[in-house]
Amino acid sequence: MRDVHISRASTIEASPEVIDVARAEEHVSFDRPWLVIVWNDPINLMSYVTFVLQKLFGYSKEKATKLMLDVHHKGRAVVATGSRERAELDVARLHRHGLWATMEQSG
Amino acid sequence: MSLAEDRPITAVASGGYDIHLPENARELLAALPQRMLDELDKVVNPEAIVPETLRRLFPPAYPTDASADDAYTRLMRRDLLDHHRESLLVLRNSATAQHLDMSELERWLGAISSLRLMFGSLLGITEDEHDVAPDDPLYSEWICYHFLSYLQEAIISVLAEELPDPIPDNQVELPGDPWGEPLGGLRWDGTPMPEVDHDG
Repeated sequence: MRDVHISRASTIEASPEVIDVARAEEHVSFDRPWLVIVWNDPINLMSYVTFVLQKLFGYSKEKATKLMLDVHHKGRAVVATGSRERAELDVARLHRHGLWATMEQSG
Repeated sequence: MSLAEDRPITAVASGGYDIHLPENARELLAALPQRMLDELDKVVNPEAIVPETLRRLFPPAYPTDASADDAYTRLMRRDLLDHHRESLLVLRNSATAQHLDMSELERWLGAISSLRLMFGSLLGITEDEHDVAPDDPLYSEWICYHFLSYLQEAIISVLAEELPDPIPDNQVELPGDPWGEPLGGLRWDGTPMPEVDHDG
């Protein structure tokens, strides 16, 4: 839905509205997945972060623990990937659980 | 505060969980949510400035794209606020219960997580250990924070037993460290991670 970013390189008429058509090669990015990132914080318990990753994403305890330790030691970890809509949903679920989660498109 | 049981929450074979907490612990659990509910009332408007003690509860989804983040906040703030509020209300209203079902206990976990974030922000919690003196002006907040931590661990230990079978690890595909930086660079609040002494 919002993977296409429109700039003002040119326009075409398309009833009933005018659509700006962009330098598509620069802005259309359907194929690059979005990354859901959990950041380190000093308050949430390590056991809680592990539990939330298990509960929300169905990861094994070992996988969730590894991700939690990445968050703890490296400062952040990618915990899910997908479309922008999917990433927004995952970020919202993580926010509901009090985790500091953000999203960005993969480079 | 003395806790009556080593295991304050136990699963019951017939379903749900028994809560073994002393009266003063239950009184605390009934009282704490209101303080936070009052604070949450101040941020119903998505454009309201979130106070520092609640900032951890409303992270940006797009930290480097203000326009996208504004749109996300307008769309999601109310839902997030309602979720936090409903969990706090369940905790407040069931603090004296002897038995909870799973959905109620999950709400306890959510409310306790939110309260820990509020108290942790108020206390300026860092990664370092804290020694708290009884004459510390925030001594009671420290006690609340540690009690909530204790209870959160207890809830996790019983709810973890109920998680469904996990996805096999070989079916999970995640980029390990797309930034190529051994320490990842930044903390949640944008400040640099500390250097790690690998020889120490």
